[in-house]
Amino acid sequence: MTKLYEPSLPKLMEAIATEAKGMRGMDRRNFLKGGIAAVAGLSSVQMIPKANASANLPPNLPEWQSYLGRGVVAKPYGEPSEFEDLQRRTVPWLTADAASSISMTPLQDLEGIITPSGVVFERYHGGIPNVNPDQHRLIIHGLVERPLVLTMDDLKRMPSVSEIRFIECPANGGMEWRGAQMEALQFTHGMLSCCEWTGVKLSTLLDEVGVKPEGKWILAEGADASGMSRSIPLEKALDDTIIAWGQNGEALRPEQGYPLRMLNPGWEGNTSVKWLRRLEIGDKPWHHREETSKYTDLMPDGRARRFTWVQEANSVITSPCPENPLTQPGFLEIRGFAWSGRGKIKAVDISFDGGVNWERAELKGLVLSKALTQFSFKTKWNGQPWLLQSRAIDETGYVQPTLKQLRDERGGWSIYHKNSIHTWNVTESGDVFNVQIS
Amino acid sequence: MFKSLNLGVAAVALAVSGAVSAGPLGIGSTATPEMIAGWDIDIRPDGTGLPAGEGSVAEGEGLYEAKCASCHGLFGEGAGRWPVLAGGEGTLDTAHPEKTVGSYWPYASTLWDYIHRAMPYPAPQSLTDDEVYSISAYVLYLNDIVDDDFVANKETFAQVKMPNEPNFYIDDRPDVKNERCFKNCADPKSFKIVTTINGVTPTGHFKEDSGVAANHYQGNPSDANGGAAAPQKVAMSDAATAGKAVYDKACQACHNMGVAGAPKVGDVAGWTDRIKQGMATLNDHAINGYQGANGVMPAKGGNMSLSDDEVKNAVAYMVESSQ
Ligand code: HEC
Ligand code: HEC
Repeated sequence: MTKLYEPSLPKLMEAIATEAKGMRGMDRRNFLKGGIAAVAGLSSVQMIPKANASANLPPNLPEWQSYLGRGVVAKPYGEPSEFEDLQRRTVPWLTADAASSISMTPLQDLEGIITPSGVVFERYHGGIPNVNPDQHRLIIHGLVERPLVLTMDDLKRMPSVSEIRFIECPANGGMEWRGAQMEALQFTHGMLSCCEWTGVKLSTLLDEVGVKPEGKWILAEGADASGMSRSIPLEKALDDTIIAWGQNGEALRPEQGYPLRMLNPGWEGNTSVKWLRRLEIGDKPWHHREETSKYTDLMPDGRARRFTWVQEANSVITSPCPENPLTQPGFLEIRGFAWSGRGKIKAVDISFDGGVNWERAELKGLVLSKALTQFSFKTKWNGQPWLLQSRAIDETGYVQPTLKQLRDERGGWSIYHKNSIHTWNVTESGDVFNVQIS
Repeated sequence: MFKSLNLGVAAVALAVSGAVSAGPLGIGSTATPEMIAGWDIDIRPDGTGLPAGEGSVAEGEGLYEAKCASCHGLFGEGAGRWPVLAGGEGTLDTAHPEKTVGSYWPYASTLWDYIHRAMPYPAPQSLTDDEVYSISAYVLYLNDIVDDDFVANKETFAQVKMPNEPNFYIDDRPDVKNERCFKNCADPKSFKIVTTINGVTPTGHFKEDSGVAANHYQGNPSDANGGAAAPQKVAMSDAATAGKAVYDKACQACHNMGVAGAPKVGDVAGWTDRIKQGMATLNDHAINGYQGANGVMPAKGGNMSLSDDEVKNAVAYMVESSQ
């Protein structure tokens, strides 16, 4: 009985599929690899269409429709199509060593406001530690009533929140302070990402330990080789800081601080300490290396700003851009992202002539506080050159500044917080170049 | 300000009467003083956190040369792209500001804290408290902030004043105000268009097929990875295979790129004469460190937690990858 019943249908399907594969088969890659020899035995008539991409185009039956595809859990953790090339990239000459370096998010390829976890930009000061979550602890101590040590299980029992928030390195665009330098969107703006983060509000944790009245500042410290440490004022902690273990629906990626990180929405990325192991409550800031030597802003008079936490409103056009040139005249949707560390994006404007005249773009999709926001402007391109710009306005009324305004105030050799209006030069050929107007 | 906090505590007092020591959720365990002591490594500007012990500029000199100079330079001038630690006085208001410990850092406590938590880069938290005192003292000495007879300890270190301390102020942004103008907002006649510097962007991934772009961009995309990766030999000894992990952890920081005079792994010419010395010498140099003609090889690459055998395996890996 069972014999008759069970294997016959699948076997038959398999046989048909194998045959179909043999006939039309050989996926594109194998064909290219194996060449003619691999398909010896088939007539040359069958050969030709396979080498020719149009074999899959109407009216022909596409090759991939002619046999069964991969079944369930062939890849228990999936991955992008082999035809995609979504990658973080780095600028090798920037730093001496990969464990103290930076890579950028491929903004030019993103579809929507969520950055896939695998391509979120990286910034390490001592590489990615390989933290075992069972052996990871968060200690909260200092000016508190009840110093606590928390396991990951303890933390996950707490009331949790999920928020979509951007993280941006304050050095995003920093290579462009002195002049246009990077010929690609990924390198001019790619130290930026936006994910859904899940965790417990820091205010909940602070309730749990009971902050003493003198407690005004919190030192956050990582479990990485650099022991990354930053001072966070209590106001921020009580406002919207999250201690997160989840990212885009799964555990944090090691690159983003697995198993536990701090997230200070809208603030420079470095404050969102990864691999978080310790929070100490104190009465004053610590002035550690990452908030003195680094992440302070030297001004032209030789003095320096400290605690420049907020990432001010910024925007950039992601299509067209150097990686996404215009290939044909006609209808064009100009697309891009805007974001502000002070709240929601209220509006985005577009200029085609380097900022002489401006038009209103539309916001589309979700418009969330401290999150990437998409904008769109529908137009036609007929081969005319453009000096294309976008300008973000946030809910506080702050208008994204020009580069000249920033340079007049901060000089030309700053490093951080370059949120100026960006210019793409679209040429007659449709190629797009990074330029600056001074 | 603590309204929510007080409410929370009050609510618990009602719900779990008597549980004085627990927070509103009653989750987590008490962090004991012993646990905290092991992790509480931070130092504050007033010296809070500085441990017992001491170290002098004189002791710091030798330690610095053995453990730090290969990257940061004998005088703190920085080797290659590794950070500069000294100099730069009087440059902060120029077009080429040099921000160093001496010219820029506002507090000496930061130096102790940072060296202790993060340096030497390949072996963080490997220095004893005395070593951190003496190396910190030496870095301050390189910056002319203390004299050569300075002995650092809890008391003396907390008193060191950094020259640039008064020059920091709290963020006063927004500092610029743009208008949301729509018509004739700028004069196009005044525009100066600045294009990019050719050849600095790794654009190999998208510029390959574009004729115009290829003219604009004259760099060599194939150089984009800097040639950093060491070529892998097909067959390796067991020692070398085991040594790769050690190498990746403790040696590649210098030996991948040829930092501070370190012979690059994979650079056959650079290794030929070294290999002729024999494995015993190479192992001895790697385990105990030495001053060579090109620079300082720190003992065990600065990572004293490695066993001698681990270092030998790493040497085997390096040698077999460079023949
Ligand atoms: C293998 C190379 C290497 C060695 C050896 C090394 N360092 Fe470093 N050092 C680095 C790197 C890389 C950084 C920057 C790390 C980062 O990304 O934050 C750094 C940063 C520093 C800084 C901060 C510089 C600044 O301006 O912010 C100090 C101070 C420092 N090191 C001191 C030391 C001392 C002292 C030693 C010896 C005990 C040492 N380093 C050994 C590579 C090294
Ligand atoms: C802080 C940088 C640094 C680190 C980290 C480092 N080295 Fe070196 N190493 C050097 C330098 C510089 C030299 C060259 C010295 C010379 O000959 O002038 C060198 C040379 C060597 C040599 C050649 C010795 C000789 O006699 O020619 C060996 C073998 C070696 N290192 C092994 C290692 C091993 C194994 C590790 C990791 C456990 C390591 N190194 C980590 C800097 C470093």
